Amino acid sequence: MPEPGLKPEPADADAQSLSKAQKRAEGRARQEQQRAAKAAQKQQQSGHQIKGDIHPAIVKLGLQFSEFKICGANARCIATLTAFKTVIQDYVTPPHNTLSRHLMTYLSPQITHLVTARPMSVTMGNAIRQLKLEISGSDIDLPEQDAKDALCHKIDEYIRDRIIIADEVIEDLAVKKIKDGDVVLTYARSSLVEKILLRAHSLDKRFSVIVIDSRPLLEGKTLLHSLASTVPPLPCTYALLPALPSLITDADIVLLGAHSLHANGSVYSRAGTAMVAMLAKEHSVPVMLCCETYKFSDTVMLDGFGKNELAPTKFSPQVPKSNSSLEVLNPLYDSTPASCITAVVTEVGLIPPTSISSIPLALGRTTL
Amino acid sequence: MASDPRSTANQRIVEDLVSRLRRRQLVGSRATALETLLVLRQVVSKARFSNIDQLVNVIRIVGRRLVEAQPKEHSVGNTVRKVLHHIREEYHTASERPTVQSSFSIAKFVLQGQPRKQTPIPRSETRVSLKENDPDDPDSFARVLKPVLMEAIQDVFDELETVYDNISKNAKDHIHSDEIILTLGMSRTVQSFLKSAAHYRNYTVIVAETAPSYGGREMAASLSSAGISTFLVPDSSIYALMSRVNKVILGAHAILANGGMFATSGSLLAATAARSYSTPVVVCAGQFKLTPLWNLYHEYGALDFGDPSAVLGFEEGDLVDKVDVVNPYYDYVRPELLDVFITNYGDHPPSSIYRLLKETYDDEDNEL
Repeated sequence: MPEPGLKPEPADADAQSLSKAQKRAEGRARQEQQRAAKAAQKQQQSGHQIKGDIHPAIVKLGLQFSEFKICGANARCIATLTAFKTVIQDYVTPPHNTLSRHLMTYLSPQITHLVTARPMSVTMGNAIRQLKLEISGSDIDLPEQDAKDALCHKIDEYIRDRIIIADEVIEDLAVKKIKDGDVVLTYARSSLVEKILLRAHSLDKRFSVIVIDSRPLLEGKTLLHSLASTVPPLPCTYALLPALPSLITDADIVLLGAHSLHANGSVYSRAGTAMVAMLAKEHSVPVMLCCETYKFSDTVMLDGFGKNELAPTKFSPQVPKSNSSLEVLNPLYDSTPASCITAVVTEVGLIPPTSISSIPLALGRTTL
Repeated sequence: MASDPRSTANQRIVEDLVSRLRRRQLVGSRATALETLLVLRQVVSKARFSNIDQLVNVIRIVGRRLVEAQPKEHSVGNTVRKVLHHIREEYHTASERPTVQSSFSIAKFVLQGQPRKQTPIPRSETRVSLKENDPDDPDSFARVLKPVLMEAIQDVFDELETVYDNISKNAKDHIHSDEIILTLGMSRTVQSFLKSAAHYRNYTVIVAETAPSYGGREMAASLSSAGISTFLVPDSSIYALMSRVNKVILGAHAILANGGMFATSGSLLAATAARSYSTPVVVCAGQFKLTPLWNLYHEYGALDFGDPSAVLGFEEGDLVDKVDVVNPYYDYVRPELLDVFITNYGDHPPSSIYRLLKETYDDEDNEL
């Protein structure tokens, strides 16, 4: 240790170097911290990123969505609304806030979480829009528990009126179109078409079903299981999409489901639906699209390419020799032009697809 | 004395091919054409005949046996017809008798203004007197004619060997830079066509995987390994992607007299989807696929069915005995859906296929 009086400069320099070293050490520590934070963030991202205050019910639902455990427009919508009921019941309005103003800010990150798990379906969008309307319209003076109960009641009503009862009305309407001796052709699995076929069968109509199916999801097998397990078994034929031209000539009616219906009458539905409708039209087989009115969207869809969703890689085939110039795509949806659809069966009756845009107004609704 | 034609037809080599065709151990148009040609060469070289009719008879009997073994493999019959055509041509040249234009028909009228692309060059320079039914030396006719016939068969053979190169030589005129091409299934012809175009152009191929054989996966792997940017998609997304596709390129199983074709199942869907987007459909096929037949089977393409377990396997055990499973091999694609056939004899619209047929085969061989 040098004497401070004799050698002031080096001491000064030492102090300086010390402070420099300190700074460097500090910098290093800061960098390491940042790095650790980044790594932690990455770890979180590689799993399911959970930011902010996500309700466990929503976390669970998000996983079910991304794993395709819950799949289909109706199922996803009902599951979302049911989960929101739990979220609303568990919600406590923070002090100096009102439920009608604050609940939506609490729900938004939950919705965002669901959307990151899987892009939102039109049905979910419509339901959430309705929910927002109900929240903002709820009475400020209502006690909190009452307000929450009222909202849950509204959600139950929405599920009942727009989905469950609507489905029953559609079943009644569609079943009338199935006659004895008919061959009904359907594609993949729509929960609504499945209910219609089972109802027609329970009414002792004698008809047979052709189920057309295709990768990536091969949902037709599920439909086939439920149709074949009826007593007495419903006569079924199963084929993959390329075999459709050989079978369409046998069909008397085509029943299809939909993901959403757009203002220009185009139908956004499971990939392959468009080709079934196209071929049916070419062979003059009537195409009945079964769709609740809550699936209507006021947007316009021109082709199925612009807006689509890709199936996760677990549905991809094992490609023998994969290399850089080969890419595997599994689009989930396509868009059927209105010209290929004979009629849309809704709970308000059978309408041509081009009249979709007039229905919400006719129902006296300002929102869908 | 000529040998009994039946015994010739029952030669071991014929039987061997018959059983392989029947067991589907030999599939693929070109492979069967080549094998048929090898058998015919053997048959001709062993046959004993003293006039042309006896020889034609022997070949026809062999041909009929082979065709009956696998009536859906049209290239067998086509090869027999082609060999018969060449044999007659050689015989007429050798015997210095011009082809008799006995009856007048529109087809012949059209041909008169259309010289054959292959003008038969007299090959046997040492033209010894060709005597039919010589009582002193019944084998003299065969002795003189056989070398010429062998050469003629060799010509057909060479044509088959080079068929892919000849089809693909103009590939760059059909595929342009930055185009998006859609194809499906596994076709060696289309594969070599696309690879040949890739030498000159930078383009993208979308391959539909074509369930249940999934030949598209093999195709995609092969194309991408040649450096072509390739997308592998399920059959269900053909319609959704069609709006971005510039051209659909298909392979054929058999080209029919009306300009339609039998092709791997899925082709009709792709062609119909292409038509609804006004996308041109190009078919690449060797001339040996030209078949003097009309589609007698209509919509049930070629009435040939594959193994249903590929569609619904035994892992779905409880369904197997309740459900009909359909797995057709081929589609019948109508001529109106096709734009051009690219063959090793140039490019032809579907409307002129009948003329190509008249040039390739003799009318009397249409029924073997």
